[in-house]
Amino acid sequence: MIQQAIVAAAVIAAFAASVWKLMPAKRRLRTLLALDGWAAKHPALTRWRERSLKPRITRAAGTGCAGCAATVGTRPHHPPR
Amino acid sequence: MDAAVNLRPLRIALIGVPNCGKTALFNRLTGSRQKVANYPGVTVERREGERAAADGRTQQVLDLPGTYSLKPTTLDEAITRDVLLGRVAGAPAPELVVCVVDAVHLPIGLRLALEVKSLGLPMVLALNRMDVAKRRNVKIDVARLSAELGVPVLPTIAVRRGGADALIEALEPVHWLQHRSIAAPAWSEPSADDAEQRQRDLRGVLEAVGYRAPAENQWFERLDAVLLNPFSGLLILIAVLFVMFQAVFSWAVAPMDLIKEGMAVFGAWTAAHLPEGQVASLLVNGVIGGAGAVLVFLPQIVILFLFILALEDSGYLPRAAYLLDRLMGGVGLSGRAFIPLLSSFACAIPGIMAARTIPSWRDRLTTIMIAPLMTCSARLPVYTLLIGALIPAKSIGVFNLQGVVMFVLYVAGIVAAVAVAYVLKHFSGARSYSPLMLELPDYQWPHLGNLLLGLWERVKIFLSRVGGIILALMIVLWFLSSYPAPPPDATGPAIQYSFAGSLGQLLEYVFAPIGFNWQISIALVPGLAAREVAVSALGTVYSMSAAGNDVSGQLSPVIASTWSLATACSLLAWYVFAPQCLSTLAVVKRETNSWRYPIIMAAYLFALAYVASFITYRAVAAWA
Repeated sequence: MIQQAIVAAAVIAAFAASVWKLMPAKRRLRTLLALDGWAAKHPALTRWRERSLKPRITRAAGTGCAGCAATVGTRPHHPPR
Repeated sequence: MDAAVNLRPLRIALIGVPNCGKTALFNRLTGSRQKVANYPGVTVERREGERAAADGRTQQVLDLPGTYSLKPTTLDEAITRDVLLGRVAGAPAPELVVCVVDAVHLPIGLRLALEVKSLGLPMVLALNRMDVAKRRNVKIDVARLSAELGVPVLPTIAVRRGGADALIEALEPVHWLQHRSIAAPAWSEPSADDAEQRQRDLRGVLEAVGYRAPAENQWFERLDAVLLNPFSGLLILIAVLFVMFQAVFSWAVAPMDLIKEGMAVFGAWTAAHLPEGQVASLLVNGVIGGAGAVLVFLPQIVILFLFILALEDSGYLPRAAYLLDRLMGGVGLSGRAFIPLLSSFACAIPGIMAARTIPSWRDRLTTIMIAPLMTCSARLPVYTLLIGALIPAKSIGVFNLQGVVMFVLYVAGIVAAVAVAYVLKHFSGARSYSPLMLELPDYQWPHLGNLLLGLWERVKIFLSRVGGIILALMIVLWFLSSYPAPPPDATGPAIQYSFAGSLGQLLEYVFAPIGFNWQISIALVPGLAAREVAVSALGTVYSMSAAGNDVSGQLSPVIASTWSLATACSLLAWYVFAPQCLSTLAVVKRETNSWRYPIIMAAYLFALAYVASFITYRAVAAWA
């Protein structure tokens, strides 16, 4: 029973992590912003989010690596018509 | 002054012509580790870093793409102008501009400095590479230059620790804050008269500061005579690439064996110390068998990047671009495509982004479309696994056969890219050719610090992928390979009755004509996230198929005994072409601002992969 619980937790966490990692950085940032209200009730979570998670995603968005598809704050580059 | 303006971080922008050392200076100022290389066009978008001023205020430092003028000809140059003029949404104009000028090539940098100064923003001029200027007898009266320009001029050596101390001191707000303006700077496109006037001003300043151009370096000239010669240069380029791939195979054997052994011992130890059950299976088959299988390839990635970084730092790569310019023009590729395509050997994503330096939209699109055909480092684990399993480790003369096959695979990617570029150019009807205009940097010995830093960054990226997305996907795959449990009367391995097994058997109908079994078909699905994930997936799938026996680190013999040569060659052909990387497609969507192009790219690359694998499989099966 304990083994099943451990495995279930690991699989759910891995599934969530996979979905999160494969999301474009812009969408990850939007998701973080959408969770603002909920995160505000958990100070530890807020600290981790602000100090570690957010800068990391912003950096990914800025450099275009790690599967990101957005440069935050810069205008999209339209091809000439 | 507005209270909000006082509270927000002070923005400092680094601007300069390409390859003058902006990013090295940015790293020095912010403690960042952004990529630095000895050729122009490395930075194609703004980068931000922070530093704390002595008064406790945060300063935001922006590293902008190199440009020769504020009148842009390419997208990366447009980014520089827009940031400087405060035209980017949510990002006001910088409060201070640090204009970085290469002291060795003063005129070209100074022309841009005069243009930037006319914007009226507070400015500091960083006279970079002063050590090289001194060595090459370049004369500049720094105090006079400062007086002529009316801005502080500070000598810097960005690559040396302490080489930017004077500049760091000058960045303290106390020195310039009172001069800042909160209004966005005004700029209009310069007329021919303006340009002529600026040229006259430039000549006046150069004369006043006693600038003397650097003496020609005899060694550089002799080297260029050989390396830029269309015949000897091309032979040397091929030899360099050949040696690189030989080294990837021969030098990596010992450390790879060590990691392989380590993983096997760790897997056996874990299995022996955990009670039999699902947790043990998850750790041994999912984590160690999956993520561990790809960790083995770390030494090869380190060796490949050691070569790439050394070539970058030495100043050889732009010469290779010059050498290939005519060949590339022949198939309808812009000479400017070389650097983006070269970057794609590390990863297609920065390569596709580097295509921003190509002014023509058609040429840029062609470059983006063929960039994924360059063999990125994520393919290395797949190639190595298959070559190691099925190609004998024998020598042909002084060459290692496995290294030769690897070289052929890299060449296959290049040839395919050239052919696709030719076809695209033919169908688009465009016949214009934009020649390569590239400033050749000085030769230099690769800087040991840069090499180690670059290698460390690559190792970190690889390990974070193994411990991040690869590990997560392998745990999910383990679950899909373990459930539902097999029926009591099952005769085959449990995985055959699982979700993954069912999916693999379904996909086998599609892939059987190209020789892929159901295990390969399963591995291709998570392998869409990133190419090397397929190796981990094969590790997990074969681990599960072996009914509990640990095969981590021993995937090679399993493949050698269960796959035919035709199947392995077919899979190699698949990986030369298939766009097994979602991140690349996402970046193409961003860079082209349309779903059309990533869809076209995925469709043509998958079609190419299937046809190539089919032909390879049939040909090898008939021959073997």
